[in-house]
Amino acid sequence: MSDKILIKSGLILDPATNTEQRSDIRIAGGEIVERGSELNANAEEQVIDADGSWISCGFIDIHTHLRDLGQKDKEDIHTGTKAAAAGGFTTVVSMANTDPVIDNGMTFSMYLQKIAERAVIEVLPVAAVTKGLAGQELTNMVELSEMGAIAFSDDGKPIQNMTVLRRALEYARLTGKLIISHAEDLDLSEGGSMHECALSTELGLQGITYASETVAVARELEIVRLTQAPYHFTHISCASSLDLIRRAKVEGLPVTVDVTPHHLALTAEEVAEYNTNAKMNPPLRSGRDRSELINAIKDGTITAIGTDHAPHTKLEKSRPFVEAPFGITGLETAFSVVYEALVVQNYISILELIKLLTIGPARILDLPVPSLHMGSPANLCIIDPRIQWTYESAKGQSKSTNSPWDHKKLHGKVTCTIYKGQIVYRSEPISV
Amino acid sequence: MSEHSALVASMSSHARELQKLSGPGVDSWKNRRHLLDTKDLSTDELQTLVRAATICKEMMHSGEGPQPLLTSRTIANLFYENSTRTRSSFELAAKRLGATVINLDIASSSVAKGETIVDTGRTLAAMAVDAFVQRHNCSGSAMQIARELGDRVHIINAGDGWNGHPTQALLDYFTMLEVRGSVKGAKIAIVGDITHSRVARSNMWLLTKMGADVHIAGPPTLVPPELSSLGVTVHNKLEPAIEGASFIIVLRLQLERQKQGLIPSIGEYRRVYRMDHARLKLAAEGAKVMHPGPMNRDLEITHALADDAEKSLVLTQVGNGVAVRMAVLYLLLAR
Repeated sequence: MSDKILIKSGLILDPATNTEQRSDIRIAGGEIVERGSELNANAEEQVIDADGSWISCGFIDIHTHLRDLGQKDKEDIHTGTKAAAAGGFTTVVSMANTDPVIDNGMTFSMYLQKIAERAVIEVLPVAAVTKGLAGQELTNMVELSEMGAIAFSDDGKPIQNMTVLRRALEYARLTGKLIISHAEDLDLSEGGSMHECALSTELGLQGITYASETVAVARELEIVRLTQAPYHFTHISCASSLDLIRRAKVEGLPVTVDVTPHHLALTAEEVAEYNTNAKMNPPLRSGRDRSELINAIKDGTITAIGTDHAPHTKLEKSRPFVEAPFGITGLETAFSVVYEALVVQNYISILELIKLLTIGPARILDLPVPSLHMGSPANLCIIDPRIQWTYESAKGQSKSTNSPWDHKKLHGKVTCTIYKGQIVYRSEPISV
Repeated sequence: MSEHSALVASMSSHARELQKLSGPGVDSWKNRRHLLDTKDLSTDELQTLVRAATICKEMMHSGEGPQPLLTSRTIANLFYENSTRTRSSFELAAKRLGATVINLDIASSSVAKGETIVDTGRTLAAMAVDAFVQRHNCSGSAMQIARELGDRVHIINAGDGWNGHPTQALLDYFTMLEVRGSVKGAKIAIVGDITHSRVARSNMWLLTKMGADVHIAGPPTLVPPELSSLGVTVHNKLEPAIEGASFIIVLRLQLERQKQGLIPSIGEYRRVYRMDHARLKLAAEGAKVMHPGPMNRDLEITHALADDAEKSLVLTQVGNGVAVRMAVLYLLLAR
């Protein structure tokens, strides 16, 4: 594959400078080597016509489950990163609740080796906060951090004991790394399978009260106040949690928040026919929660979108609703879903959306701020906002198909993704 | 004489009466593939069901043998959760209509081997079974199996988790109509553990649709949130719910609810919610007590009240259950 690429006539969206500029981009040696109008193609260059399309830095997903290891039937690092590339992502943060859990140096080095062998984009792995995600003993955080853990999280099995969380936040100072919280009080949510509301009553399903999230956010914020350690709340779903976090940020606590595309686009009504592809944790909430999530994006409380891409097999998702596992895939549909929910619906501008997918997560994770200037690594995606397409999960890159957008019409599409100067995704031409 | 007319000649007058039923409700039943819940039954369908069940009840008590109404039909009772009474009621109903019945207690067989309900369903559908009577402990499992296999088999929900138990609600309704011709405007109380009760949900859909004034009472820990959105009035204590009521449906209290911390003790439950003769005095003149069974005697209902033939409809409900299930099977499956 040629590593010399010329992208012609795209509109470059740069949220760092808040500008949109029509420009050609020349890529060689994995970097952006030239920008300008009317650049002429060299003989060995592959030319991509991006007329009418947007060009953005590659997206960063702050919350992905790539599975692999003992769960290759759901996803592996190759298919997961291919799915990410198809969604415009050039970096994903992979969660530690793999099988086995990434909670020790040996498993971590094995995972790093799999990443080196199989990933088509950058994977930044998270390590567990506690051994076995059991919420009791801390992992060797210094060792894991030195080996390359981007952050620490017990996502999927949140820490319930606040003394353990306190120690984790104190000890994490040795690493300078962030702790990512899946905020959930497991006693309050026990047995639940969807948002607690009139519909859960109607369907005869045990609900998950908003309080299971907000109670956890409240007590965790007090531990952040106590330790003053940086802390990130992932996949926040409730208006009442946002109220608390907003106040904490005003107060100056070092907390940040991301939200998923599905919580921005869908509500609990999606469950109505026991649709297991609308079952995830935290669950889809009320219409009011959804509007408050959008408001929290507008007022800057939420600064990143994370997919919580959580592949599960068809067999698992064909169990009855109560027994089916939580989680949906999301990498391949993320941009189109949030573009429709936020930009087409006129809540925010396209530049503000791109920020949530690039600079926002980069700042939370303390990564270099991505850019498309000369000399920058050539990590970018090309988006055609004119394309209306139907998502067919079976034809996608992920091994799993558990998406609520399967067979649904979506608006705007990533057509090409380039990572370190290599094309890692290119869609079949679709007539506009 | 043709084979068909020979068959007709061998039928009882009741069976022929069943075949002669007509009207818009009959047509809707003919177009219906499944009975998943009472929620989507039209009032026409309900009227037809009651007419058919009335005939089926006469058939049951006439001493006549099985009638050749569903002889070409095979029905599988798929019980993933134990239920002696519902299963035998369906089995008797099917046999009285001449259908072939197979019973599968799956809790102990294929599920243990990791087979999904869809796989089990497909296997039976491949054996040309016409209808599944399915009981499963997960809400929505009837709808799920109908979605997957509904083009090949008729699904009759015999109870899915906490969601629905339509034939129980239909037999309760039929039993009420025998006492008073209509439930319109009648106050009906449903008392006990509402959260975990499919019987309560199916009855709420049906009775509110037919114009009854439905009142609910149960421990606040056993009443699901936003219940009034289903069109019922919710009380904490028993008394305001049963005051002036014509029917009181007493639900079974699962003893495990105490272990789950949902009620403090059985004694406390008795104190607040147990139906007895004294509390029944608050209800309307001639009020009747009902129970879907099996009863915890002296827990949710006193021994004396349960056995008071004048006030309790419990055994009538059981008998009517067979007639109503015959009517459902006939209306859904007769060609």
